[in-house]
Amino acid sequence: MTYNDNPSPFGGEGPILRVDGITKSFGGVNAVNGATFDVPRNQITALIGPNGAGKTTVVNLLSGALKIDSGHVHLGSTEITNMERYKIARLGLMRTFQLSRELSGLTVLENLLVAPKVQAGESLFNIFFRPRLLKREEKQNLERALDILQTYGLYDLRDNRASDLSGGQKKLLEISRGVMASPSLFLLDEPMAGVNPALIEKIGGYILDMKAQGVTVLMIEHNLNVVERICDNVIVLAEGRTLATGKLSELRENKEVVTAYLGEIINAGPSH
Amino acid sequence: MAQFWYYVFTLVFFLFDYFILAMGLNIQFGETGILNFAYIGFVALGAYVTGAVSLPNSVGTAQQYIFGFNMPFPFSLLAGGVAAMLLAVVIAFITLRRLRTDYLAMVLISLSLVLYDIINNYVRLFNGADGLYNVPQPMAGIFHLTSNAFVIFFACVTGVVAMILWFFMSRITRSPLGRTFRAIRDDPDVAAALGKGVFRYQLISMLIGSFFAGVGGGLIIQFGGSFNPSAWLPGETFVVFAVIIVGGVGNNVGLLVGALIVETLLIHLPAFLPDIPGHPGLIEYIDTMVIGVALMVMLWIRPQGLVPERLRRFAIPTDELLHRDGHAVEAPAVAMNVASSVPAATTNHDESDEA
Repeated sequence: MTYNDNPSPFGGEGPILRVDGITKSFGGVNAVNGATFDVPRNQITALIGPNGAGKTTVVNLLSGALKIDSGHVHLGSTEITNMERYKIARLGLMRTFQLSRELSGLTVLENLLVAPKVQAGESLFNIFFRPRLLKREEKQNLERALDILQTYGLYDLRDNRASDLSGGQKKLLEISRGVMASPSLFLLDEPMAGVNPALIEKIGGYILDMKAQGVTVLMIEHNLNVVERICDNVIVLAEGRTLATGKLSELRENKEVVTAYLGEIINAGPSH
Repeated sequence: MAQFWYYVFTLVFFLFDYFILAMGLNIQFGETGILNFAYIGFVALGAYVTGAVSLPNSVGTAQQYIFGFNMPFPFSLLAGGVAAMLLAVVIAFITLRRLRTDYLAMVLISLSLVLYDIINNYVRLFNGADGLYNVPQPMAGIFHLTSNAFVIFFACVTGVVAMILWFFMSRITRSPLGRTFRAIRDDPDVAAALGKGVFRYQLISMLIGSFFAGVGGGLIIQFGGSFNPSAWLPGETFVVFAVIIVGGVGNNVGLLVGALIVETLLIHLPAFLPDIPGHPGLIEYIDTMVIGVALMVMLWIRPQGLVPERLRRFAIPTDELLHRDGHAVEAPAVAMNVASSVPAATTNHDESDEA
């Protein structure tokens, strides 16, 4: 199985994502206050920070779910600042949500089949006048979806209603649905939150596999053990600003980072 | 005996006509999640336009209306469907780009009231409160049909139209387009995050549903020969909602069952019953209450309707199944050293789906 059938439209060198001084406020609260960072191509980057640092808001801004007040975002050489979110997705930026959001009335398999960004079968003309094209496309998508479901251990659940899955299975479904959409950059919002340790290991493996297949990953993660093991880079956010970037081992020596975030994690005990 | 068949085929006509109307609302509400409380407005516009293009020029007649093209069936019917689609474009651009669910519903019901007032008061459009009448009966002259024979004939024509539209609707709802509609219904944010232009698909859904509404309305005026504002009070929208909620949202067979129960048995069958002595019109009021109670009971005890939406399962070729079943793929080789030894994260669910 390949994660990305479509070669990235952002080939070449340099970061795949450049975030330059973005801000977002809700009423009087500055949720994101000039965050600036790059996401290196074909690597796994963690976005960490204390609760309320603005991590999920940043993901919402990058994916177009929220409008950016000021600042710029470039995906490759394309500026995507305040672009409509479906257009951003079509450029290859996929995301998952902090709380899994399955398409509840669809089966597990349909959740994946809906994911390819542009399908010939979504055109009325093609439905009635190009049935062979539809059949061929549907067969290809079906085979790919079954491959992905098999890899993610959801194959036997393919005909179940998505809302019937357990919490961990929903996490897997959401990630596999994003994979089905052939992302160039995959934003994962706490993919390990609320899942058992065995599944954490498994999801970590899937993320490493994505990287091996050429997908760039930016993930929000609180589990520093996971971050240390699978992430190439770390971005620390605090109060809506970028506090530091680098390897986790380097950041452990950074006094500001330790004070703002790592200190509380280390003090919290061995589970982290 | 002729009267008996007149009644029976009148009921058959309304069964098929409301089946068409229910399919139109279902693709908007049941498949795409658009709470279109203005639906009856689209039905009415379809009826008026079909009637107005079927009638001769209004000059010298007692009625005032636009068009007057003497257009033959089925072109008159198509004109009604297209007119409803044009209204859908306008309303979609006003509402769907920015509004969702309850706010969308409120604006749509307001637009329905505005449309009602315009048509009721701007007499030159469709003859105001008197509405259109003397609309020619399609093909009655060609086949020399008596009024009783026309009812039977047109009920059959409506049945054929309903079956053709059912075929088209099934093709759409079973296609990837139908799947995308249902994804938007379930969670428009997720659909957008997957690259689906939500407004575009909602617009397509509105257009398809409005065409069905316009055709359904057109059939009503061509069947009865007249149509006026009392036939499409804004509350009539909820009768069509009752059809799909009782029958089963998202299931075309359920819609036919809903049309049979709500429109045929609860609304039109009692209309043929004699009045209760001393209480003229009482049956009609009881009728309305029964529909309201039926709607509440269904929402309470069986919200999925009598024939619920079916999960779309895919026939996977046997060789594919043999290849895959029982051969779980190993966890990715690059997994964090321990992943390949981790047991599968998922288990089979034993419970079978209710559909």
